[in-house]
Amino acid sequence: MLTTVERLIDGVVQTLTDAVLPDLTTPFARGQLYAAVDVLRNLRDRVAPRADLADAESDSAAAALERTLAALDAAGERTPGADARDVARRIRAALADVPAAPPLARNAALRAVLVAALTAFATLPDDVARPARAPIAEHLGAQAMRDVAVLKPSMLGEISRG
Amino acid sequence: MPGDNRDLRERLERFLTRALGADAVRVTALTRSTEGFSQETFKFDVETVRGATTTTRTYVAKREPVAGLLEPYDLEPEFRVLHALSDDPFPSPPTPWFTRDPAVLERPFYVMECLPGDVPIPAPAADGRGPFTDEERATLGPEVAVALAALHAVDWRARGLGFLGDPGPGRAAAATELARWETRIARSGLPADPAITAALVWLRAHVPSTDEIVLVHGDYRLGNFLVTRGAAGAHLAGVLDWEMVHLGDPLEDLAWCASPLWRAGTEYASAMLPPDEMAAAYAAAAGRTIDPARFRFYDVLTLVKMIAIMQTGIRAFNDGRTSDLRMAIFDHQLPFLLVVLAMTLDFFGGGL
Repeated sequence: MLTTVERLIDGVVQTLTDAVLPDLTTPFARGQLYAAVDVLRNLRDRVAPRADLADAESDSAAAALERTLAALDAAGERTPGADARDVARRIRAALADVPAAPPLARNAALRAVLVAALTAFATLPDDVARPARAPIAEHLGAQAMRDVAVLKPSMLGEISRG
Repeated sequence: MPGDNRDLRERLERFLTRALGADAVRVTALTRSTEGFSQETFKFDVETVRGATTTTRTYVAKREPVAGLLEPYDLEPEFRVLHALSDDPFPSPPTPWFTRDPAVLERPFYVMECLPGDVPIPAPAADGRGPFTDEERATLGPEVAVALAALHAVDWRARGLGFLGDPGPGRAAAATELARWETRIARSGLPADPAITAALVWLRAHVPSTDEIVLVHGDYRLGNFLVTRGAAGAHLAGVLDWEMVHLGDPLEDLAWCASPLWRAGTEYASAMLPPDEMAAAYAAAAGRTIDPARFRFYDVLTLVKMIAIMQTGIRAFNDGRTSDLRMAIFDHQLPFLLVVLAMTLDFFGGGL
């Protein structure tokens, strides 16, 4: 996620107090809103992103990159002198710098390696780039599904209609 | 913000009295709309007094937000387009006034006439159904396709819209749009995302060429259509939200309109027609063929544009420049968009 839990909670508190409270007219409703704000303010520093989700993504990304490296190595053996070996070397160097922990830092570093790899593939012949890209594409597809699996159904309709 | 509705109303009354050249103006029924996620939208009735005559008409004011999805904002280009089209048969709202004067509403805004109809939103109803009945789809879908063809037939040079920037023939139209949205993604300052990078790499490798440069609405889709409904079905009464108007490839609008993003739980382009039928209706009305490769480029670009828009909103919220929670929800809307991207580029099959 791109927004920290702290910022999300701060934003909700601000909206409740600045935009919702002025329109609440009954004492009970106003009291309930203040209680909600109180809960949120005290929740703020007691929640943290789930490490198991970051670990699952990191494991998948690392496995995909290993398969990508195997594809690049194979391409390098088929066509010596091609850029595949250079790209593989750079990916291995970047992977060596990925920290083993904490989970969020490891996850962010692996994402950066994926971005660098995908960008580098654009310099390769298509018959080399395609098999190298495929494991990463599969990882990205699987990760997209993992990400939405923990989300609740969208309330965009209610938000738009008010 | 000149804070409450009373203050806003009085400021609008002073502005409109001058703009209308009236003896007096009274603004009533002032409400802020919830649908638009970008600009601030206010709807109000205006009673205009000239001598012994009083007339009433409903207007809509669009004001630049402090922060938002399409920042940095500049309302003037879209005002100039809407103003230029005000006497065109195309169903855009006649838009007479724009001002940057901060003394009026602190930020630039324009005022347009309110057209009839409601704006169905691109979300399924509580029962899961789309916004239109089959009978409504049957009338509305073809009208939307024909109207898009009519928009693309507008002589933008004759209308004085060259200021939007003619990209010229060849790959420039597609390349310009890709660069525009890549810049927005970079400007968000958020960490580079591998899936988004994959899409950008794909787009750079598939920039199509076109010699057809037309007036592109840029946000032509369910959610920006004013629709009237009656015994004779549903009809297109107006096309709103011109913030992304520019000159470019006509297929950009068609792909945007047909995108999976605005199907409201249906299988239909903008919840109206099967995508192929929408494309065929447009092609017949416009007299042009739909190049599949060009269409696919813009289909993918549609997703990248929405990603850029969401990331811009997320950044504004993260920075504390807005407390509008509708920006915050994009943090958990974005993963759904990445699933659509994964399906479109066949990540699951190792494609790209």
